[in-house]
Amino acid sequence: MAEQAIWSGTISFSLVAIPVRLVKAVEPGRVSFRMLHSKDYSPLARRMFCPEEDIMVPPDEIIRGYEIAPDKYILVTDDELESLSPERSRTIEIVEFTDMKEVDPVYYDHPYYLVPSKGGEKAYRLLVEAMRRTNKVGLAKFVLGEREYLVAVKSSEGALALITLHYSKEILPDDDFSPKEGKVEAGDKSRMKRDIKKMMGDFNPEKYADSRRKKIMNLLKKKAKEKAPVQAPVAEEAEGEGPADLIAALQESMHKIKRNR
Amino acid sequence: MAAGTIWKGYIHFGDSNVPVKLHSAIREERIQFHLLHRRDEVKLRQQMICAYEKQPVPVEEQTKGFEVEEGKYIIVDPEELEQTAPESSRVIEVRKFVKTGQIDPIFLERVYYLEPDINLKGYNALVGVMKEMDVEGICTWTMRKRSYIGALRTKGKILRLNTLRYADEVISVKSLELQKFSLSEKELQIGSELINKLTAPFQPRKFENEHEKKLRNLIDKKARGEKIAILRPRRLKPTAPDKLLQALEASLKKVA
Amino acid sequence: MSRRAVEIAGRRLSLSNLEKDLYPSYGFTKAHVLDYYRRISKFILPHLKNRALTLKRYPDGVEKDFFFEKRCPSHHPSWVKTEEILRDDEERMTVCLVNDLGTLMWVENLASLELHVPPARAGSPETPDSMVFDLDPGDQANILNCARVALILRDLLAELRLASYVKTSGKKGLHVYIPLNLKETTFEDTKKFSKAVAIIMQKNYPELVTAKMAKEYRKTKVFINWSQNDSSKTMICVYSLRAREKPVVSFPLEWKELENFAGRNDTENLQVLHSEAVSRAEKQGDLFRDVLTKKQKLPHL
Repeated sequence: MAEQAIWSGTISFSLVAIPVRLVKAVEPGRVSFRMLHSKDYSPLARRMFCPEEDIMVPPDEIIRGYEIAPDKYILVTDDELESLSPERSRTIEIVEFTDMKEVDPVYYDHPYYLVPSKGGEKAYRLLVEAMRRTNKVGLAKFVLGEREYLVAVKSSEGALALITLHYSKEILPDDDFSPKEGKVEAGDKSRMKRDIKKMMGDFNPEKYADSRRKKIMNLLKKKAKEKAPVQAPVAEEAEGEGPADLIAALQESMHKIKRNR
Repeated sequence: MAAGTIWKGYIHFGDSNVPVKLHSAIREERIQFHLLHRRDEVKLRQQMICAYEKQPVPVEEQTKGFEVEEGKYIIVDPEELEQTAPESSRVIEVRKFVKTGQIDPIFLERVYYLEPDINLKGYNALVGVMKEMDVEGICTWTMRKRSYIGALRTKGKILRLNTLRYADEVISVKSLELQKFSLSEKELQIGSELINKLTAPFQPRKFENEHEKKLRNLIDKKARGEKIAILRPRRLKPTAPDKLLQALEASLKKVA
Repeated sequence: MSRRAVEIAGRRLSLSNLEKDLYPSYGFTKAHVLDYYRRISKFILPHLKNRALTLKRYPDGVEKDFFFEKRCPSHHPSWVKTEEILRDDEERMTVCLVNDLGTLMWVENLASLELHVPPARAGSPETPDSMVFDLDPGDQANILNCARVALILRDLLAELRLASYVKTSGKKGLHVYIPLNLKETTFEDTKKFSKAVAIIMQKNYPELVTAKMAKEYRKTKVFINWSQNDSSKTMICVYSLRAREKPVVSFPLEWKELENFAGRNDTENLQVLHSEAVSRAEKQGDLFRDVLTKKQKLPHL
């Protein structure tokens, strides 16, 4: 079928269960660069390095540890992590709904889309439509990877969007910024009202472009015209030809062909 | 305890200039794991390794390149990139005002609290007017060498600035190409009724990060040398399309 | 911008700018490009299937700017198959898999004249299913020199009981493929092997062959680019168009055919145009079919 998902499972509310996949809803627009070795322009990769043995460590030799004392770790495996909340790692259970207007936008963290898996299209559409009609969002908990998220599931232009939320504890208080009671100049207010009225419109996100991104792309276009792009050369040369057996066999075969040609 | 000021600027529109200080609104806390080498439990470090030499490369020998073709790069040096940085300015320019509720939360990125700077100059007036007219301001500004768009909003007596994603950073629902499915009015009615019955006021405090708690328990258990049971995740059986109405009606009965 | 909605193999697509001339000096529009790929689809699709596609897009034709995309454009229809792969720098990336005609048409509607794929499938990106020799002539060498190198290479490999297959690159060179199709083969194997072969070839035919990439070594020689045997590298897919002055194709040749051409000093016929590609493929079938299926083990490693 379609896109490879970040996660797949079921979303449920009361006795209705809908098979779904979680896919990206946003894609960063920044221009991405590769880090290169300035000596030969070969691309750099991030690797985990063991400082004691002074070697690179492949992924299968890497484990996760929690430091309980300096250099003393408790190891935690993927299976153990998944066992913490086994129900929640495959199911997004909507425990309640709430009015869209009541959700303080400060809670919103990262958005995704949910798309229906085979057989779930009808129930999916029902949830989208019913939430749109009632203007509600569903609240649920779910586990993705190492973390458990509080999420809001809402209808968005005919699809289900899942937005992770911050926990209450993570929201900093704003009382310190409360302005001390100050006189409000009536003149200020009416002037602002007048200006705001003149500036009323609709939210059209396409109207705004990332000017830095444009500048970077222009710079790159300009540089591409001035100089040909560099290429990482092939590193090793004559020394290190290859396994001795192979070289010998190749040389022997070469003799044979030359004789026959 | 308030977080420090991240940045100072002033909101500008028409004849108004309201100086403000930006503060973080969020502080994330979670259990941090280290990555260790399996055989000796030594903490690993991340290094940039050269693909060909397979050796770590010091920072002085690292440079940025933009891949234009397979294996071919345009080298950009830091000064050139610097020059593409937008002119630094302290202005948060309001481009237009819109009625609240127009912005889909998918566009929201980071949120900042705005504290009035310089004797409240216009801050309270702006909060009052925006509340009365029920509007949000769409703004553009540059901060720390990046250009932003954002929504200026009120909450209580405070102004907030919410950075927004650019339009091309949001994947359109159209591209998901979801199928249209016709639903009976009955299904929609029962579905809506069910949702309404399951509706509660928004009280985020009652949702705790239980996973974190369980994780701490797990770590404590292991520290004590206790055995950990491995449980397999269970999948729910999906509701078949022809059983949807039934499931809805049964759910309604359950919550009534 | 003109748009037309069509239905292809059960998929709804919106095609645009069909009348745009993408090969202006030859006169080949986007409609022609789509038509070529539609006709060649049954031959090219098996070679694209389940491989991470690198698109090379020429929205304004072969004479203007091109850009290549490894990431699957985010605005793709939901029925386009994709896969998440891990790049060298540990970043995850979503790539397109051209597994059906609809997706091929969608990709061509984006003016991806050239289709480049790795020698491994997206699901097992570290397992090459073939070893490749990219024969690239220096500035003062040509495809005839490549043909000679390819024939020696074929004989050398045959001595080691390895069957090989050759195709035109569509530009100045030739590509020689050795099917492997074994789970245990790694890129380390194919890189080591091909490098050794390249060095032996250079040692024995120093006027004809070089194994070094640096331009100063290449001029009159044929560079055997063994470093293409890498999980991060791609090759032009067989039957793909090339963005040259004319719509030539990277087309498979029979070894006998190559021998004849090399003997006759016939460079013209080694370039296969789109129409010839379609008629030849329909007549002789997919000469590269065995590259996908033949199982061979690299000896002496």
